[in-house]
Amino acid sequence: MRLEGIVGAAHVLIGATDLASRQADGFLPSVVARPEDAAQIAEALRFAVTEHLAVIPSGGGTKLGIGLPPARYDIALDLSRMNRLLAYDPQDLTLGVEPGMKMEELLRILAEQKQFLPLAVPFSERATIGGIVAANSSSPLRHAYGGVRDFCLGMEFVTGEGIQAKSGGRVVKNVTGYDLHKLLIGSLGTLGVITRVNFRTYPMLPAQGTFVALFSDAAAAFGFCGAIARSVLVPQILEVADPAASRMLFSGGAERLEPGAWSVIISAAGQPAVVDRCARELGHMAGAANAEELIRLGEAEAPAILARIREFPRLILEAAPAAIFRIGVLPTAMASLLGELDALARQEQVDLITLARASGIIYAALLPKEGDPNGLAALANSVKRVFDACGKSEIGASAMLEFCPPELKRAARGAWGDSRKDFELMQRVKHSFDPHGVLSPGRFAGGI
Amino acid sequence: MNPQLIRELVALLGSKAVLFQPEDLMLYEYDGSVELGSPKCIVFPTSAREVSEVVRLANRYEVPLLGRGAGTGLSGGAIARDGGIIVAFSRMNRILEIDEANLRAVVQPGVVNLDLTRAVEHLGLYFAPDPSSQKACTIGGNVSENSGGPHTLANGVTTNHVTGMELVLPTGEIVRIGGKNMETSGYDLNGLFVGSEGTLALVTEITVRLTRKAEAVKTLLAVYETIDDATGSVFDITVRAITPAACEMLDGFTLRAVEDYVHAGFPKDCAAVLLIEVEGLIEAVEAQATEIMEVCRKNHAREVRVARDDRERALLWKGRKEAFGALGRISPMYYVQDGVIPRTRLPETLRRIAEISRKYDLQIGNIFHAGDGNLHPLILFDERDRAQFARVVAAGTEIMQHCVAVGGALTGEHGIGMEKNELMSLIFSPEDLALMARVRSAFNPAGRLNPGKVLPLGKACGEIRIPHIPVAATTPA
Repeated sequence: MRLEGIVGAAHVLIGATDLASRQADGFLPSVVARPEDAAQIAEALRFAVTEHLAVIPSGGGTKLGIGLPPARYDIALDLSRMNRLLAYDPQDLTLGVEPGMKMEELLRILAEQKQFLPLAVPFSERATIGGIVAANSSSPLRHAYGGVRDFCLGMEFVTGEGIQAKSGGRVVKNVTGYDLHKLLIGSLGTLGVITRVNFRTYPMLPAQGTFVALFSDAAAAFGFCGAIARSVLVPQILEVADPAASRMLFSGGAERLEPGAWSVIISAAGQPAVVDRCARELGHMAGAANAEELIRLGEAEAPAILARIREFPRLILEAAPAAIFRIGVLPTAMASLLGELDALARQEQVDLITLARASGIIYAALLPKEGDPNGLAALANSVKRVFDACGKSEIGASAMLEFCPPELKRAARGAWGDSRKDFELMQRVKHSFDPHGVLSPGRFAGGI
Repeated sequence: MNPQLIRELVALLGSKAVLFQPEDLMLYEYDGSVELGSPKCIVFPTSAREVSEVVRLANRYEVPLLGRGAGTGLSGGAIARDGGIIVAFSRMNRILEIDEANLRAVVQPGVVNLDLTRAVEHLGLYFAPDPSSQKACTIGGNVSENSGGPHTLANGVTTNHVTGMELVLPTGEIVRIGGKNMETSGYDLNGLFVGSEGTLALVTEITVRLTRKAEAVKTLLAVYETIDDATGSVFDITVRAITPAACEMLDGFTLRAVEDYVHAGFPKDCAAVLLIEVEGLIEAVEAQATEIMEVCRKNHAREVRVARDDRERALLWKGRKEAFGALGRISPMYYVQDGVIPRTRLPETLRRIAEISRKYDLQIGNIFHAGDGNLHPLILFDERDRAQFARVVAAGTEIMQHCVAVGGALTGEHGIGMEKNELMSLIFSPEDLALMARVRSAFNPAGRLNPGKVLPLGKACGEIRIPHIPVAATTPA
């Protein structure tokens, strides 16, 4: 078999368990190939072009359920052997890493130099750099550091034609050539197979304080967030959890946090004097915003709760077959969108759990009521209505159904909602990188 | 140019919005670089609809065209290399919306960078990218070139501050990408179009992020007897993970020219100064300033001065931002480079530039964004001396080769344009360049939009092109 000649017989797997480990929304590949470098990936993709095969790259396999079910799926490219740190210059605060390195491992290496990458993303012990970048995973640290596009300096990748290419570079400021790597961020493996990512790293700050403010309703909680946004404070994390999400985040650790309240979680970092100042200012602002309470979490409980915020989608998925939306929305539209979602969840008789990143992202999970025999149908109806609610002109949100049972995705509008007004431009991009439709066909927005 | 096309453009836009007399066209032959190119016609549309109609006419007559803001660019991005139509955006200069609560502004491309900041500063906000030319340059130009500035060290460059755009494609279609939201699903088209140097589409509207002003700001001036001590300080600041808002270096030669021009209070007898700014909460600023002073003194700074008030602070920055102009006063011409290096390679790189200066017997001034390793060596020359000019080109190429050899890049904020496009192969493989060319063709298939920019034309390989010699010194603001 040709693939054995490319990656070596020991790295071509066809056992039932191996295939099952790479299933995407119930679709199994015919073979799993484990390349060790970009040259092997390039050759495998050229082979796929000749044989009209479809290829889906993955690392830890935590994101194969994101997007639409694949239109075709023949070869699973397992990138977990490509897990090396290729360059790390702590003094320059830059690094280059292969896609298969696990996030947790990279953070451990950086921590030795008192540095980090501001990506607190779910499935952290399994999720790999390549997958996190390709799915543009959301992190609460976005509030202070931006998203992947803001600290990714460049990439090397293999296009759908099996051509090795790169863009950007290793330096922190660079406008040499088109920023093609930005297109790969969030492209879900539809443009290229990422073989190296260059990042800038950040120094750990000497002191940190994490605070929780409790409110009786959403309006008060968002009012408090608005006050923080207008203040001189620059928190690392600013999240609003509805009562259901609050219960989930604080169960088994911080019982003193009132169940049934809306909570705002704030993390501040910097010199100790900066954290103390934030504590004081937050106290004043919480009072003015009619908070029921403002609690500073202890050194021991804060990391546990921040980890639960990071793992929010996963905590829900482990509990029930949920539909989890990731919604880009303006801060001023957040409260009214949450109101709409709450109303439709009540009408459709599904449970709703939301966690809002105050800078502009809402995670909204819909779950069937416990024991509801028509749960999945109710969920399907609600999913359609969430897209409608987001599309309302006064809200103007951009929704994507990030995690959900595959059968729901087959319902109208799938995982991505209505096609974007610039869909035709996206098709041109796709055609430039992958003219034969080899890479992850059908998974992306509009069925790209 | 075809007189019938001129007639159609006049019919479309009115006679006051079309220039085609040679004496008018001359004003649009150059920008802030050392390049030249003659357009055949300049048009001044006032709406996306008009831009679209102009593009359709250009297609019908098979004439090239390109967008232009204030013409302050430093790589020839807004120069009509193959003649054709320049679409000047100076009449599309309205701020359409300021959304304070969501920290967004919607602007037309011809809005001057500093004018946006002025329009929002009463709200405690500003537009973060701050190129030295910000008093003149436009946001449309900033978007095309992905412009930076001193404060991008902490705040990022233009691409980090754009969330949406309205574009006129080379077919004449008007499309919108992104919006006000920080995140939209689908490919990051903003990421592709920002910095594409006007080769993929004309930008007719931009949604940008606004940034809240910090509570406190402190500006320090550290004075050194040797360049090595100054670069050593930058190295230590980076290594100690202090993140200033800006960290600029001026060498002694540049400093003297600046001081004679601006009278900012820079010492004229030193080898280099660092202009370092920290901002944030009062507590953070105090702590960082103390630490920076300690680092500078450890690296033998002769003096570390803190600007006492806003006036003194503004004066120091005026000196920095008008430095190119200051050098323009003492030399008939200069050639500014924009290479980037890993920050840890700064000391050796400055030594290398000094060697190159001696080797080619050329005066090179250094004034640059030290904190992010973005160099701006200015090679001074007299355009009437052809032999000297050949040395300028050789010296420039050697500096660029050094940047690439230590793992850097050709340009940090000025763009590739028609100045460095033949050097692209120093960084990129034929495969990399072929993919970029394919993406360009996907949007600009006839190559009619801003031809001859960014990608190599394939005439030379790894060699800097000898530019036309302009008639007058260029001194960008």
